[in-house]
Amino acid sequence: MPFKKKYIVLFTLFGILNSFSQEKFTLSGTITDTKTNETIIGVNVFIPELKTGTTTNEYGFYSITIPKGNYQVQISYLSFQTISETINLDKNTKNNFKLSSSEEQLKEIVISSEKTKTNIRKAEMSVNKLSIGSIKKMPVVLGEVDVLKSILLLPGVTNAGEGASGFNVRGGGADQNLILLDEATIFNSSHVFGFFSVFNPDAIKDLKLYKGGIPARFGGRASSVLAIYQKDGNSKKFSTSGGIGLITSRLLLEGPIVKDKGSFLVGGRGSYAHLFLKLSEKQKDNAAYFYDLNAKLSYKLNPNNNVYLSGYFGRDLFSLKKQFENLYGNATLNLRWNHLFSDKLFSNLSLIYSDYYYGLKLDFIKFQWDSGIKNYNIKYDFKNYISDNFKLNYGLNAIYYDFNPGTLKPTGTDSGINYLQLEKKKALEPAAYIDAEQEISKKISLSYGLRYSLFYRLGQSTINTYANNEAVVFNSELQIYEKAKPTGTTFYDKNKTIADFSNLEPRAAIAYQLNENQSVKVSYNRMVQYLQLISNTSSPTPLDIWTPSDSFIKPQIADQVALGYFKNFKDDMFSLEVETFYKKVKNRLDYIDGANLIANEAIEQVILNGQLRAYGLEVMLRKNEGKLNGWISYTLSKSEQQTKGRNALETGINNGKWYSSVYDKTHNLAITSSYKVSEKWTFGANFALQTGQPATFPIGQYQYQGITVPSYGLRNVDRLPTYHHLDLSASLTPNKNKGRKWQGEWVFSIYNVYNRQNAASISFKQSLENAKNEALRFSIFGIVPGVSYNFKF
Amino acid sequence: MKKLHSIIVILVAIITISCEKVTDVNLNTAPPKLVVDASITWQKGTSGNEQKIKLTTTTSYYTPVAPAVSGATVTIKSSDNIIFDFIETPNTGDYICSSFIPIIGETYTLTINYNGQILTATETLKSVPVIDKIEQEVKPKFSGDGNQIDVKTYFTDPVNSDDFYLTKTQTSITAIPEFRVTEDTFFQGNQIFDLYQNENIVPGNVIEINLYGISQRYFNYMTILTSIAGNAGGGPFSTPPSTLRGNVINTTNPANYVLGYFSISEVDKIIYTVQ
Repeated sequence: MPFKKKYIVLFTLFGILNSFSQEKFTLSGTITDTKTNETIIGVNVFIPELKTGTTTNEYGFYSITIPKGNYQVQISYLSFQTISETINLDKNTKNNFKLSSSEEQLKEIVISSEKTKTNIRKAEMSVNKLSIGSIKKMPVVLGEVDVLKSILLLPGVTNAGEGASGFNVRGGGADQNLILLDEATIFNSSHVFGFFSVFNPDAIKDLKLYKGGIPARFGGRASSVLAIYQKDGNSKKFSTSGGIGLITSRLLLEGPIVKDKGSFLVGGRGSYAHLFLKLSEKQKDNAAYFYDLNAKLSYKLNPNNNVYLSGYFGRDLFSLKKQFENLYGNATLNLRWNHLFSDKLFSNLSLIYSDYYYGLKLDFIKFQWDSGIKNYNIKYDFKNYISDNFKLNYGLNAIYYDFNPGTLKPTGTDSGINYLQLEKKKALEPAAYIDAEQEISKKISLSYGLRYSLFYRLGQSTINTYANNEAVVFNSELQIYEKAKPTGTTFYDKNKTIADFSNLEPRAAIAYQLNENQSVKVSYNRMVQYLQLISNTSSPTPLDIWTPSDSFIKPQIADQVALGYFKNFKDDMFSLEVETFYKKVKNRLDYIDGANLIANEAIEQVILNGQLRAYGLEVMLRKNEGKLNGWISYTLSKSEQQTKGRNALETGINNGKWYSSVYDKTHNLAITSSYKVSEKWTFGANFALQTGQPATFPIGQYQYQGITVPSYGLRNVDRLPTYHHLDLSASLTPNKNKGRKWQGEWVFSIYNVYNRQNAASISFKQSLENAKNEALRFSIFGIVPGVSYNFKF
Repeated sequence: MKKLHSIIVILVAIITISCEKVTDVNLNTAPPKLVVDASITWQKGTSGNEQKIKLTTTTSYYTPVAPAVSGATVTIKSSDNIIFDFIETPNTGDYICSSFIPIIGETYTLTINYNGQILTATETLKSVPVIDKIEQEVKPKFSGDGNQIDVKTYFTDPVNSDDFYLTKTQTSITAIPEFRVTEDTFFQGNQIFDLYQNENIVPGNVIEINLYGISQRYFNYMTILTSIAGNAGGGPFSTPPSTLRGNVINTTNPANYVLGYFSISEVDKIIYTVQ
């Protein structure tokens, strides 16, 4: 009997997938921008007659299988003119649509301009999309358009404060975000210790931030995925765009290699603030600059094959009186091949190389320090558009990592430092996934998937062994954690497995449509993170090093559930998104007191395994259209860490109690808006208000050997003062632009209009001059005006 | 490490319009705890007979004077059971011994009896190499105009042993001493220098440098202490501070722990007038 049942189930499934297949045909193709042939991501393809539709993927491809018939197909996308075309679907049909930017159309012709309205139908939730167009209109520090700063205005996203690098998603660490630039991992997303992001806004097409309900095709980080897509380049005609700002200037060239078939894009951005440093007598021996280069070649071999070669190279350089020299940055190279096996089966093969280098030269203590991480990634992804209500994504992926934890070289003969190469670490992370998107009824959509990830920490390595396998010991007499003395070492030969892990990562989301304008969604995801950023400072520094999981460092495992309510109202003019989430991360590293993490060959001796939990409520109200648009986002959340003792005798960190993580912000309010006064003027305003960062203030002091020692109690029980600032911008598009090739635009901005001195930290120190105990507030930006000029021709 | 973070802060300050200002912060004060300041030091070329131990309590952060603890019984015992009594100069919290006998490698136990609580700590006297030389070097200032004078104190690390050092620098222009810790991990067996940097040092200033040989545990303690105490500490890249536990144990009531440390070191001292 059970045998028969199985068949019935199989048949039923087959039936769902293939019901009426004899009457169905596939409509597929790519959607591009008329002007540039640039493919567009996330375009809505909608069939009103059937109330069904699809969206284009990361490569602008769509496919939908529907019954034979005559349809009005609506193609719509934000800031593009919606088009509607009659398609007589009596066979499998390829149709490549072209959209025109709504800005370039005369008002009379515009049918409607697509809005950023919330997707009610799809099971996808906890995702925010931002187009580069809207990012460019936001007011920013010194007028420098910044991709990463813009996401800080989204609900559930914060960072450590002004000038801090990285960002925190739903109470997670900055190291828990997977940042992908055209699928290549970026390990350090900041220039100048966090003031600017490494993404040249001119070269970016789109970005998507997944805070929860993360699809199975992504893995490797516990908190979020930020996918950033570079432009392909204009394959119609040669064009130039760029900008001149106070800190950086940008120039981007793009054009066809073979018209309508192949294109190139080369972009560069560099800062020149160091030139001003040189002008001042005081700073003339100092240097501080950064640059980055983006390049991409796209080529359409034939309608079924596209190849892309893209790369990024960025560096930061600082030098202080030739005493301190610092050079660091990312490089990526990425070759991709899109192939259509059929009009229902899209595939992409990627070969990706990325590396992060960090170099430091300290002349006053005579040494040079180099570290870095290289990785080689192969990915093969398939998107199978089985029917209009069933889509399968599946693929394979393997990443090989090569870590250099540090090379220490003496500089000069009087250095006193011995040459030291910390043992290089190697690891392999293969994974396979399958993910389904299914509409089981007009009201219910599902997405569910599974990722199977593996991790191998590989030799050659000499690994310390410890008594009871404990690299950290607890001194119960003194009540402190101490490094354990290794009992011996084990040698692992080249490519021998030192430690291995495997995890099943289920992902699921369901959307229930209450009516056409409202839905509720629930999602769950498990994410596993095999790489750890070794850092015990409140904000990441470029010095921090990545290390693979091994016999002592276990992978972080994050489970997250989210529940959301979504609504479009007033004829889609407004969208409301309310989400609540709970996240728990196992094996979050914590550090014993006084741990030195730099050039530490036995990092296992200073770390303890803890856990992280975060929960919260996010509300986002967005006005999608009209002269005034923007959003208000508010997040109420808690993020806490706990490191318990491993047995009853141990105290753990912070007496084993839960304590606020440094990225815990109880309240987080952000308002961003832009107001188009006329064709000439657009104004923008941002306001951010956040609970101050957790901090630990002294609960007294004592005298030891003639100096004041502040005494501290429990961790992170105090707060820095509330953080807030208001920023304004005005963009001027001169009238004379009309009808000419050269398009110019001025952006004026004022950051922190009322000159709030937000505290980046409060330090408790004794004055060297008069021995008085003081509290010192360190703040980074006061009011900062900025201006930049952007052009295109 | 700490130096690197402070350099990053200087860089940040140069590139931005950042500023550091004294601010008022309302702070809580925990009930007072006993603090044991017991650094026994034996300066090269002296008998080391004169030693002092100071007992105080914690107090509020802004209080300039630490309350003295009187009426304790303080002794140090060598491994041969020779007992050295430390007698209080009445009502000062200073407990003094004039007959202490330091021996390199000898293990000493400190015992304090205060209000019926017995506190103990054990340490071994570490030796220290002699200071080879002291040199000055003119370098451009990290921030601001002109040059500064760096003072380098050289000493030679013994081969084949893991050694830990503490330096204390007191200058004629600073109100408090400054401490730095060094381990020989990257310098094993080499001539090492301790670098003292202060942008305000000018010719004629007097600098006293003390170099101590210390135990690994005291090194760990001072690593944390020097990152939070005196003129160090804080900043956007600091690590979260926590209760700093020393090696003095309350054997009567372990939960009522005491602060401070019992250390015992050989020390070499040099006084240098900046040229």
